[in-house]
Amino acid sequence: MSSKTYAQAAADGIWRSGADLIGYVPSVSVAPVISRLIETDGGADGRSEHVTPLSREEEAVGVLGALPLAGKFGAVVMQDNGFGNSLTALTTFSLSYHLPLLIFANTRGSLGEYNSMIHSISHPVPRILESIGLPVLELDRRSSVQDWEDTVAEAGNHAKMTYRPVVVLGSFWNTDGKVA
Amino acid sequence: MRRIEALQHINELTAELPLVVTCAATSRELASVENRDNHFYVLDAMGLVGSITTGLALAARDSALPKVVGLEGDGSLLMNPNVLPTGGFIAPEKLFIILLDNQVYGSTASIPTYADRVDLGSLAGAAGWTVGLADDEASLRSEYARLLTTAGPTFLHVKIEVGNAADIPKLLVDPVTLTNRFQAWFTARLEQGAEVPE
Repeated sequence: MSSKTYAQAAADGIWRSGADLIGYVPSVSVAPVISRLIETDGGADGRSEHVTPLSREEEAVGVLGALPLAGKFGAVVMQDNGFGNSLTALTTFSLSYHLPLLIFANTRGSLGEYNSMIHSISHPVPRILESIGLPVLELDRRSSVQDWEDTVAEAGNHAKMTYRPVVVLGSFWNTDGKVA
Repeated sequence: MRRIEALQHINELTAELPLVVTCAATSRELASVENRDNHFYVLDAMGLVGSITTGLALAARDSALPKVVGLEGDGSLLMNPNVLPTGGFIAPEKLFIILLDNQVYGSTASIPTYADRVDLGSLAGAAGWTVGLADDEASLRSEYARLLTTAGPTFLHVKIEVGNAADIPKLLVDPVTLTNRFQAWFTARLEQGAEVPE
């Protein structure tokens, strides 16, 4: 039995993926992931040496997605309703230039969601991402904490091996975390 | 100053620096001046040059490179103006954006941008960038030299004439070839540092 929370496992998986820098766009569901990343990087107040806030998902793809050009690897932590803001960058930059990137996003399109509007973008996100050729790995209550960490870590490796972004979608419903 | 004249000067000044270049006419015209390994042409993804340059400046923070340079247009910067507050907030020491501002979408029938009413250099200054202004070769070179040695995000606002150079071919290359070319050049420079012309 792991003593970690699901959010902590996701954060530790991101570090294990070999991420040199991590950018995040805030959400209440991934706030514990962000807190863990910053805490383990020796930072405070939402920022640390290797973890930085960003204000929009599109720029997150540009900033972190560019790192392989410098021989480095980046990761983005966000919420799934932000993929609509980032599709052009993901396709015309990351995919077209064969640049690996790890994205961990919490989900807002299924069980436990209260917001009747956010479903409209979040529910179809897996199919939208698959339609543009991005691999999507989905985690939820049925996976163990250790599986979350291992899957996130290996997703980063998969991105490097395939020279493209890989997305991990985590549903916190009925885990120890919260949906929103 | 025409765009291609500005590009000739910038190409000379940035010979030993990573240069991330915005799409369409700017990339084509620069490649027609010289198509070099240190040029990374963003052939689509309009607006993303500043974000890409921010990421590369962060990646280069422990290197001997003085700056990572992004070459933007006014229309493209307005597509993703987040570049300015994000750059000012994160404040990478080696971030340098050169804005070629002709107040129109140069590759889109010269439709006006906001730039005749909104001063993009002032926006950058308000976000915490050190800003220089140029409108001819002499001011471009002197402000470039000043900003190259200024720590923190720097922004050279270059006013250019409307219009594209004639008979410039499109850049019809597989983008991954640009990735491989630039990555090889850049990673070698990150390890070795760079000599920058006076």
